[in-house]
Amino acid sequence: MTAPMTVPRLGFKKFTGRRRRLSAPAKVAGGFLLLMVLVALVAPVLSPYDPIVGDATQRLLPLLSDGHILGTDGQGRDVLSRLIWGARPSLLAGIIPVIIGGGVGTVLGLVAGLGSARVNSIVMRILDVFYAFPAVMLAIAISAALGPGISNAILALSLVNIPPVARVAETEVLRIKDAAFMETARLSGASWFSIAFRQALPAAGPGILVFCTGLIGLSIVYAAGLGFLGLGLTPPTAEWGLMVNELRQYTFSAPIVALVPAVLILIVSIACNALGDGLRDRMDVRMEARA
Amino acid sequence: MVKFLAQRLLLVIPTLLGVAVIVFVIIRLIPGDPIASLVGPNSTPEARDELRERLGLNESIPVQFGIWLLNLVQGDAGNSIARQEPAFDLVLRAFSQTAVLSGAAAIIALVGGLALASMRVLSNNVFLQRASSFISTFAMSAPQYSVALIFIVLFSVGLGLFPSGGTGSAMGGGFGTTLYYLVLPATAAALVPLGIIARMASSALRDVVTAGWVEQLHARGIANWKVRLHILHNTVPSVLAISGLQVGYLLGGVVFIEIIFSWPGLGQAVYQAITQRDLPVIQAGILVAALAFVLVNLVVDVLQGLVDPRLRRA
Amino acid sequence: MTRTALSVKNLRVAFGKRKTQIVRGVSFDIATGSTMVLLGESGSGKSVTAKAIMRLHDSTTSVSGDIHLGALDLLAQKPADLGRIRGSKLAMIPQDPAASLDPLSRIGSQLAETIRRHGLAKKRADVTAISVAQLEAVGITDPTRVLRAFPHQLSGGMQQRILIALAVMSKPGLLIADEPTTALDVTVQAQVLALFKELVSTLDAGLLLVTHDVGVAREIADTVGVMYAGRMVEYGPADQVLNNPSHPYTKALLNSLPEVGMPRGSLVPIAGQPPAAASIPSGCAFAPRCAFATEVCTTEVPPTVTVGPNHTSACVLALENIEVAA
Repeated sequence: MTAPMTVPRLGFKKFTGRRRRLSAPAKVAGGFLLLMVLVALVAPVLSPYDPIVGDATQRLLPLLSDGHILGTDGQGRDVLSRLIWGARPSLLAGIIPVIIGGGVGTVLGLVAGLGSARVNSIVMRILDVFYAFPAVMLAIAISAALGPGISNAILALSLVNIPPVARVAETEVLRIKDAAFMETARLSGASWFSIAFRQALPAAGPGILVFCTGLIGLSIVYAAGLGFLGLGLTPPTAEWGLMVNELRQYTFSAPIVALVPAVLILIVSIACNALGDGLRDRMDVRMEARA
Repeated sequence: MVKFLAQRLLLVIPTLLGVAVIVFVIIRLIPGDPIASLVGPNSTPEARDELRERLGLNESIPVQFGIWLLNLVQGDAGNSIARQEPAFDLVLRAFSQTAVLSGAAAIIALVGGLALASMRVLSNNVFLQRASSFISTFAMSAPQYSVALIFIVLFSVGLGLFPSGGTGSAMGGGFGTTLYYLVLPATAAALVPLGIIARMASSALRDVVTAGWVEQLHARGIANWKVRLHILHNTVPSVLAISGLQVGYLLGGVVFIEIIFSWPGLGQAVYQAITQRDLPVIQAGILVAALAFVLVNLVVDVLQGLVDPRLRRA
Repeated sequence: MTRTALSVKNLRVAFGKRKTQIVRGVSFDIATGSTMVLLGESGSGKSVTAKAIMRLHDSTTSVSGDIHLGALDLLAQKPADLGRIRGSKLAMIPQDPAASLDPLSRIGSQLAETIRRHGLAKKRADVTAISVAQLEAVGITDPTRVLRAFPHQLSGGMQQRILIALAVMSKPGLLIADEPTTALDVTVQAQVLALFKELVSTLDAGLLLVTHDVGVAREIADTVGVMYAGRMVEYGPADQVLNNPSHPYTKALLNSLPEVGMPRGSLVPIAGQPPAAASIPSGCAFAPRCAFATEVCTTEVPPTVTVGPNHTSACVLALENIEVAA
């Protein structure tokens, strides 16, 4: 006889087995992102039309038109071609700031985590001040101050990425700071650099790396946002954010075409998050196994 | 408790100071003659000299900063070049609009996020759990501008249900009208915070529900509804922390929504100021946004200390 | 006159959709005023047994058999009735005291909640009086300060005492303690065990104490049940089981755990690992690690053999009266 329920059932699946592989959605996301990167790489070969010069007689053609599968914009330029060419700056402006910001942030985190309480306090306090700005505002402010252009946009985005990475890095370093192997390294008289880069970094690395991959999606969105505001590349260059703004005026006359770049950025962002989640799940399992 | 409050208040001051320094640096980064930016191209040489004197631009940098800070604290951030009115007035007016938008978005995000979190952790339905997870990932990733445009095309152009821009003040204002005009922009702004709140609240809720003391309450025969109250009580601190952060971001980060929906808020004001090289407004705008963020965090900190006694230790 | 506080017959507990058997037919009785220790390693099913008696499991766990608390059939109770039985007739003292109290409520309010729930008092003054009395009864010397405190402000030993107070305030007929001393310092352990002994005799209640610590068993047990892989392999008076064990597992266990007074170099670990619940071998679960295993041990489930007054052992060797060398 089975006894009736006594305790409310916890409404989620218990983690029964170790997931050794990436989950299906994450794999799909990863594949899609890889496709985007490939498209960016072979843009000149892949793009059916010139992204800059348009045919004014062919302006605002709807989706699935003859020869223009994603329609044309206000200047008669093929939307698909512009998206393909736009992949380069849009993806680069997303990835490079994460690399730069991630690098600097990690070093700062190492300094703060391994340093004395005073050093830690100073570094984290300074970072807290940057945290007082909503990231969007900060990116806009810095970018505006520096002027238009993609390198300024990348610089602004890199700066915005530094505080979050530094904070995560500091947390990770503090977590392993008192571990046995760190103690050994210190006792053996190793230099700060040696301890930081050969001991602490490999241990804290995975956690920081996973966080940074999560930042890439956000960075791509912010970069396109700056483009939208006209703070990055200038027309007539093809860039996803710029395209969103250019097509905005046609929301009522050609609504579907106007949405295309916005939808693409949305899908890329979802894919980045899905992949990041999948990686994080897999990473957690590995970290558990090591602990 | 008082000590905790005082401590938190004191910590805010150096942060605010740091914020001022950063804004000062950013402003100085702008290439070109600062005076020209501050007074506008149509000013007389005398006016420019007078301003130069007043701002102490002939002095050293630290002195400049001091004078600038002093002026700020007295409410003087210069006059907007475009509109010739005090920058702070303009900015505060715009900020009140942003506050309305952000407030509405915050409520939507909190209610929606908590609903999703409960669905994920407390329901027995696998479909609901998966749906909740999927929706929160989707919401979290949605770029503001994409969502805003999609909403307009779907609900304004397509279904004609909601207006595509403005605050409704042209229609005579009023609570109902404003609410009607708020629906699309507030929901669009709320999506990312909603996703983030949903996700983190799920994790917090899960931690509480599986805690040992919950089982102990059952072991003592305490009624189910009372146990749920205990669980709720224990989730408040984490939810507070997460929501506070999101509200802070909302206050400064709704630029895209404001631009696309023509909502006359702070983000839009700063953006316009950037295109018009209206330095005083840029400066005042960033400062107000940062100040609001810091204050919201302070309030959240204090509220958290009230709810969770463990956090009151220094 | 002693009565039976708890009677368990053929208890079986299985988890999940695949119905993995964790407890595979366990039977024992606990008389009022006596303490039974359920001894075993992790994974033996002892904690699950204790929780099953308390009916603290979710709907994916199936429990079958017969559990009688005095005259009350526990498995037949509806959830609403269980709410009234738990905490009043039957109470539990958990393993990790720090994690067992609501961190955001003061001690006083947590005590008051239980007092009101079981109808021990209604007016605030009475509730406070009872709370103070209960805390004093478990050896807390400054009850008024403790009542205003939050759990994290108190030591582990203090927290455990509070949990004990919460358990005994309704004068239950049966106490279940799941590894109550494992998370405590050794000196505090002794105090808590002494407290248990005192409570068992004052309340004339039965105590089921689950542990892996033989020292605890020696200190407090009247009866000992040794569990392995979900079965009770030996069961009998403490003095018999601990000093004159019959089952090979009990002997091996006693030889492998350090105790005060043991001669040096006499620890002999048991080779191998206990089997996972999902992959228990046929026949006797201990056979793969048993030094005296015979062929029949791997094919037939060993019978429960009486080897002394109220003393049973689940081993074929006992059947043939073969004295197993220590």
